[in-house]
Amino acid sequence: MTAWGLAWRTIARSPARSVLAVVGVTVIGALLFDMLLLSRGLLVSFHDLLEAQDFDLRIVAAEGSMVHRPPIADATSLVEAIARLPEVQRVTLVRTESAAAILPGGDRAGVRVGLVGTTAAGTGSIWTMISGASLPSVTDAGAPPPLVISTGLASELHLAPGSELQLRLFRPGAASAIPLVTARVIGVAQFTFEAADEYTVATTMEGFAAAEGTRGSGVAELVLVSSRNGAGPAAAAAISRLRPDVRTLSNDQVMEQFNQNAFSYFRQISTVLSSMTLAFAFLLIATLLTMSVNQRLGEVAALRALGFPRRRIAANLLWESVLLVGVGGLAALPVGGLLAIALDRILRQMPGVPVRLHFFVFEPRTIVLHAILLSVTGVLAALYPIWLATRLPIAATLRREILS
Amino acid sequence: MTGTGTPIIEGRGLTRSFAMPAGAVTALGDVSIRVDAHDYIAITGPSGCGKSTLLHILGCVDQPTAGSLEFEGHDVGGLTEAERSRIRLTRIGFVFQRFFLLPMLTAWENIELPQSEAGVTKTARRARTRELLDYVGLVERSDHRPSQLSGGEMQRVAIARALANRPALLLADEPTGELDEDTGAQIAGLFDRVHADGTAIVVVTHNPAVAARAGRHLAMKRGRVVTA
Repeated sequence: MTAWGLAWRTIARSPARSVLAVVGVTVIGALLFDMLLLSRGLLVSFHDLLEAQDFDLRIVAAEGSMVHRPPIADATSLVEAIARLPEVQRVTLVRTESAAAILPGGDRAGVRVGLVGTTAAGTGSIWTMISGASLPSVTDAGAPPPLVISTGLASELHLAPGSELQLRLFRPGAASAIPLVTARVIGVAQFTFEAADEYTVATTMEGFAAAEGTRGSGVAELVLVSSRNGAGPAAAAAISRLRPDVRTLSNDQVMEQFNQNAFSYFRQISTVLSSMTLAFAFLLIATLLTMSVNQRLGEVAALRALGFPRRRIAANLLWESVLLVGVGGLAALPVGGLLAIALDRILRQMPGVPVRLHFFVFEPRTIVLHAILLSVTGVLAALYPIWLATRLPIAATLRREILS
Repeated sequence: MTGTGTPIIEGRGLTRSFAMPAGAVTALGDVSIRVDAHDYIAITGPSGCGKSTLLHILGCVDQPTAGSLEFEGHDVGGLTEAERSRIRLTRIGFVFQRFFLLPMLTAWENIELPQSEAGVTKTARRARTRELLDYVGLVERSDHRPSQLSGGEMQRVAIARALANRPALLLADEPTGELDEDTGAQIAGLFDRVHADGTAIVVVTHNPAVAARAGRHLAMKRGRVVTA
């Protein structure tokens, strides 16, 4: 009989204890699996969102970051200069402000929205059209500013392409000076970075200036650049030469910024909780195997007296540990998967979290890491019981067992 | 000591002391013993006189603190733990008072286990296991677990297990200690057969009926052989 077979029979000998052990490992393994999903989930999901936008370079003011974005002075001329670079395919200006969206004749307070001003080249990347048309390249003089609104706002205010909507920017302490601008909805879209508790309205830079009550300030807080294939680093270097007062960030650098700041809390939490779950798994298996060995010291001593070498006794215990951890670890995957779905739903209800951003994202590497961590834990947990069983004094143990 | 050829096992001046908080206790003092092929030796004496200690040393599961032990010409003290395990597996059979059968295995599997560990082929294992079950009269109980067997049946399975790898020496520590008189007599009868079939036996026993069947009788007292 192989060590594996003997381990299986030993485990099957105490079904209640074995089931409890497997359930314990399943629960702990599920938590570990979720923590591993969480440790990289935001990064993977955020990376997917960035990649979905088709922009590989983001320009912010030199003193800014992707989280804090002060205005870039003379952004319009910067965009014109970048557009002329041979490495660049297209470039888009982005401005954002909070605004009130008011139905003509409706409640004057309106609905708070995030207003995005963008140049024409930005259409189709920041949002995905659902109905109507995207923003035009050229705005007719005197025509109301065109708007692309999010599906949530369309549903909330019962708007459709052709509807009129009034906008007023929020400027602390300057509310009375901001004009109420009447605009026209030309399309409904899903915005990549819109949160569940937010509504987004996009318009042209001219429309944004009209909402500001200016003719255009020439500033922007973000410039999005799509470089030609493989020309990203060269484009970034060229932009830095054009304007040393801006920072050009690749998608990887943006990811790194979020990884260092916004996402680090979740990574730290997942690291702490992963360590805790591994410690619990270690204690559970080590305790159960030690109890199991202590209950059958006589059997172990008899096997040793019959000539079973230490390595065989060690192999039996190792296989017992591997079986308990293996079965529990496998069962942990579907349980952890379901738990991750539920936890993801809860976390995504946090204010300001983009609808398309996920905290728990499955990757094949997570299963590999899960298996490695549990296997190492199972082996480590078996070390003390193995030491106990292989080092026991055979004669003294047999004598003690008979006297007891 | 008796015999003139190469003994299976020979101990000279075997001493075994145990360190205790109140000082060292000598369980076995300067005992010499030789076991030849076809010997059947009974070791008797009061509890705590060192019978089991001597048996454990002869079985290579314990080592003397003084004296020398040779198994089939090899100095046991110079062997590694793995080499002593190999001797126990292939050349010595152990029968315990409490049987120590693995409770999750059937009688068949308990007998097959030492053969499997010794690397015996599956076909040979099957044949030997069937032969041994027949030998101890338990063919019909082959797929029963220890919990489904009586004390006498368990001890017979344990004897079959001890004989599985055709050992030169069978060591038994109070093999009838847990059995009633009739069952004890059956086990003693089985030992007679094992001995008659060519296996040397050393049995530690309190049972006079078992001791009376042995060809040699060592009486021990306070760690020493007092009559041989």
